[in-house]
Amino acid sequence: MAEHHISAAAKIRAAVAQDLLSGRISLLLGWEKGHFQWQSRPLFARDGADLERLAWDSFCAVNLSRYLPEELKENEKVGVLVKGCDSRALNRLVQDRAVPRERVVAYGLPCPGMLDAGRLVEAAGGWPDEIAEANGRVVLKGGGRESEVHRDSLLLDKCRHCLYPDPVACDQLLLAPVGNREAPDRFKAVEEREQLSAGERYAYWEKELQRCLRCYACRQICPACSCRECFVEQEQPRWLGKAYDASETFLFHLIRAYHVAGRCIDCGECERSCPVGIPLQELNRKLIKDLNALYGPYEAGLDPEREPPLLTYAPNDPAAFTEK
Amino acid sequence: MIKSINKAGLDRLWERLAAAGPLYLPVKEGPAVLFRPWAEGAAAALDVTQATVSPKEIFFPRDETYLKFRREGEKLALAESGTPAGPAIAFGLRSCDLRAVELLDLVFRGQEPADALYGRRRENTMLVALACGQPDPSCFCGAFGINPADAPGADVMAWWDGDVLVMEARTARGEALFAAAGELLQESAAGSKPLAPATAEFGLPLEDLPERLKSRFYDPAWDRLYRGCLACGGCTYFCPTCHCFDVQDYGSQERGERFRCWDSCMFGRFTLMAGGHNPRPTQKERVRNRFLHKLQYFPENFGRFACVGCGRCLRSCPVNLDIVQAIRALGGETVEQR
Repeated sequence: MAEHHISAAAKIRAAVAQDLLSGRISLLLGWEKGHFQWQSRPLFARDGADLERLAWDSFCAVNLSRYLPEELKENEKVGVLVKGCDSRALNRLVQDRAVPRERVVAYGLPCPGMLDAGRLVEAAGGWPDEIAEANGRVVLKGGGRESEVHRDSLLLDKCRHCLYPDPVACDQLLLAPVGNREAPDRFKAVEEREQLSAGERYAYWEKELQRCLRCYACRQICPACSCRECFVEQEQPRWLGKAYDASETFLFHLIRAYHVAGRCIDCGECERSCPVGIPLQELNRKLIKDLNALYGPYEAGLDPEREPPLLTYAPNDPAAFTEK
Repeated sequence: MIKSINKAGLDRLWERLAAAGPLYLPVKEGPAVLFRPWAEGAAAALDVTQATVSPKEIFFPRDETYLKFRREGEKLALAESGTPAGPAIAFGLRSCDLRAVELLDLVFRGQEPADALYGRRRENTMLVALACGQPDPSCFCGAFGINPADAPGADVMAWWDGDVLVMEARTARGEALFAAAGELLQESAAGSKPLAPATAEFGLPLEDLPERLKSRFYDPAWDRLYRGCLACGGCTYFCPTCHCFDVQDYGSQERGERFRCWDSCMFGRFTLMAGGHNPRPTQKERVRNRFLHKLQYFPENFGRFACVGCGRCLRSCPVNLDIVQAIRALGGETVEQR
């Protein structure tokens, strides 16, 4: 991995070691390497030996804030590494009263954007043996081939439209900020879909959703899905049938999108987690776009003091449902 | 009998074979590859190492209605729902997929009562295996004694010789496929059969693993292993050997259908009983059960591992929690030795 990443991991380790070893926190949520260079998975560090495995590289996509509610059941105080999106997830969970903020120590990691293993394979023409980064470029080696590509071209979809790569809420910023980003294409796919007729749109989503396995990874990883019991699981009454029927699958995804409307932080973890690659962010961004138009610009998770538009009431709120 | 066809002629072959019944092929949908019945214009993704979702759904579909009921006065009229009985072809399965079918056979057909729904689909489906020329880094079928280039159990074994797809009929049913394809296939020599490519090893301690795991039920390693699990059902649904299902009714007081559908031991309610007791109360017990089922219980029941090293969990788990990790964490040296 790139030089600055190696030193960054060491820096992070040193910064959190004091808190973990002194007992200020009893658990640190971070990342460690998986089997391959393109995998970094959640690390649950409890001691110095665990910390040795801590990694910070271009594959730390998993949102760790999502683990906080569960881990806080067993730990008085938990440390968590947060990228820009993760920090907004933390704000989200705090706003939903799912996480008491004072029991979390958030260490901020400005994020250069995470890379997509699928795009690496495409760019390298096969699985790379070696991935090296320098100056915004990535060199991929493997199978006697070597290719060099722009780092931006390898970003995960969820990172392409990221507006806030720097943590917006943390107790300690561990690395130098990278600065806010522009994402002019953020609503491009939504606008394209809006051009379609209702029938065409239905056909589009029917095609995308027919491969849905109903594994609920999108829901499980979502920092806005904070219900203790999802309507999907409720049996009396049973809202959602278990058959793989288009109407049932639609119902799940649409209810979920509406349920997180105004609270979705646009982290894209749902889409990244989907094993069959359904473009779920289009649904969420459609609602973000509509809410912005109806109630004024709002970015969920940005300011923990500002309540989501659908959780507040203002006398001048548009009332399209009641107006004749 | 060996025949061959040029890559350019495959579309015509699909059309011909699909005329007699569903022809399941790996098809690209978005970034994923799934086995779908061929329809005009569909491109077969035969160059993809592996389908994202295993072809088990050909024999064990995501859902399947098996009974229809209707109220008739004081009585309930029942009618069996017709599972398709006609012939089907599954084309492009890999060696690991074939091994998985063998394992599913043990569950659904190898014991009494045999599962009629599975059995009917399985009996009616011709299996065409495609040699795996280049396993990807997540593939470790070799660890389970599988040869990526040759799949026992296939009716037809196919392999690429450049742009030519060479096919060897190994059963009478396979020869029937040749007959159906007619002049579209050319007489061919075997040419150079592909050699077994190497797959990842991961240094897995598989020998006597089921025996060793017997004493690891309470091992603290489970506590570390399960932590990252999101409790989604992804792994159980794309896994080629997971086969749990639920039975549900759909309908009203007057009429309805009884169907079965995939279910997942990763879900909290999977073992929730009437009365509220749940013998697997947390994700730790659920993760432990899934891996022990593959690595200890299935071997105890059937003498085989219920993992084929296809690597799907290594590729697709959103938090990279996979069976290689489980085998490494639990299968090596004992706690005392650690």
